[in-house]
Amino acid sequence: MGPLIPLGFINPDLSLFFAFVIGLGFGYVLEQGGFSNSRKLAGVFYGYDFVVLRVFFTAAITAALGLQLFAYMGWVELDLLYVNPTFLWSAIVGGAIMGVGFITGGFCPGTSMVAAIIGKIDAMFFIIGMMLGIFFFGSLYDTFKPLYTSFDFGSIYVYDTLGISREWFVFFLVVIALAAFIITRKIEDNINGVKGTPGLLFHKSYTGPVALMLGLAVLLLLLPSSPKAKWYEEDAQQLLAEAASESHYAPSDEIAYKLLHPKENDLLLIDVRPETSFAAFSFPGSINIPLNKLLEPQYDKALFEAGKPIVFYSYASTDADQAWLLMRRAGLKDARVLKDGLNGFFEVLFAEKHETNSLDEMQQFDVRFRERAMEAFKTGEAAEKMNPKGSPVKTIVEIQPPAAGKGGC
Amino acid sequence: MEQKPKPYMNPYLAGFLLGLVLLSAFFITGRGLGASGAAKSVVIETIGSVAPDYAAEHPFYKSFFATGDGRPMKNWLVYLTLGVLGGAFFSGFMSGRAGFKIDKGPRISNGTRLLFASIGGFLFGVGAQFGRGCTSGAALSGMAVLSSAGFLTMMAIFGTGYIVAYFFRKLWINA
Repeated sequence: MGPLIPLGFINPDLSLFFAFVIGLGFGYVLEQGGFSNSRKLAGVFYGYDFVVLRVFFTAAITAALGLQLFAYMGWVELDLLYVNPTFLWSAIVGGAIMGVGFITGGFCPGTSMVAAIIGKIDAMFFIIGMMLGIFFFGSLYDTFKPLYTSFDFGSIYVYDTLGISREWFVFFLVVIALAAFIITRKIEDNINGVKGTPGLLFHKSYTGPVALMLGLAVLLLLLPSSPKAKWYEEDAQQLLAEAASESHYAPSDEIAYKLLHPKENDLLLIDVRPETSFAAFSFPGSINIPLNKLLEPQYDKALFEAGKPIVFYSYASTDADQAWLLMRRAGLKDARVLKDGLNGFFEVLFAEKHETNSLDEMQQFDVRFRERAMEAFKTGEAAEKMNPKGSPVKTIVEIQPPAAGKGGC
Repeated sequence: MEQKPKPYMNPYLAGFLLGLVLLSAFFITGRGLGASGAAKSVVIETIGSVAPDYAAEHPFYKSFFATGDGRPMKNWLVYLTLGVLGGAFFSGFMSGRAGFKIDKGPRISNGTRLLFASIGGFLFGVGAQFGRGCTSGAALSGMAVLSSAGFLTMMAIFGTGYIVAYFFRKLWINA
């Protein structure tokens, strides 16, 4: 179901509100973690305080593990997340400049905001310097542009770059982070002349969190590689059972009856034949979504927010069956297919011999109904009954697909 | 009478909470956190209002006015940063840490600290453009989605920091 805003679960107009709320959490945690103190921040480079490494690395593995687990559970679509593109040398040069900036300035941009708002004067100077730096870059943009825009590898993933699987990479990341926590604790104790806990890798109280992180990383490794259906997807086994039992076919009689009794017609008929065929003939009140355009986002609303049971139809039932399968898989709950398609529909109504002998009462009823229906369709009575006020849904509102998330710093 | 500031949060707990904030940012909006982007919006907005013709022609600035409704300040990262300021002030105020102060190493004067803070800010301003984001936007958010750029930028920032740390040791330590 996530990311919520790009998928349309939350109105994009609210995105600025959520930005503010997320920012509140970001600022609060940074300040509580000690990131408003440049001396603490710089400590990571001299070994007297590794708070930056601890907070930064813990946050990174928490979020990375969380996103992987969310993706596995089908709660978030990784494809829709903003993955910052890799411009090789621009990233390295930029990182190196920022590294020098970190040592000299004692802040990074986020931490400087946190520090400035609680009155740290050095942070205020840092921010002014930062704005001048941005202005400097902008002014000389033409000079920097070749480096800035070259070596574009696109939005690539680090595990692909390293040639290992995503699960193994996450596992190694967690192990490296935990090792770094242990080693830097020893270094820090050493430099500050603090007696650590000899013989122990880490204080007993960290056993739980360490086990949790390692456990989750191992879990990711052990989980079967292909996750179950995404949160909105119907289980494939279930669909197979439905398709095999043919319980998804709507009989011609039902459709004919509902076409003749508009007040009882609770269905949305969707014609998946090409536009030209639809224009030549279609059921009254039906809408046209050609099979080859079924997955286009502008039809999502018509399909998923119809608020009525849907019946797909085509000439025979093959195309409609395919549409049914695709849409059921994509999470459409209440959908069926016109049995044997339009051909079958008219065959049942017109071509079959309507014999009344030797049939039981129910069958006689069917026959009489079919005769009546045939009459109605022949005389055009059906078309009149259909929609005295015109078809309700003829056109489909074109909606733009949601813009992919954009990030940046 | 000055109240003693409360101690900082356990760094691992802070990191875990920050990870959850980052996770929720991705879960809700599909993108990570960022900080320098807001400063960039301020710069662009300023240039746009002081010298609109220059900004409209300039290859770096013009795209920010051409896209969207042409208002650099009505931007996701700007509102995020407003939140950061609010959250940080609340935290600092409640923990007794708010107040004008300069944090620095033991061997330098306030003037030196402010000079180098400005230089560091300037470098971060330039570097964050090349890096397409800073420590939070490029490195941290990038690492969360396992992007190559995220890890590359992180290693470049901290790697360079360690390489040059020796030359700037007087700023921070007694050695």
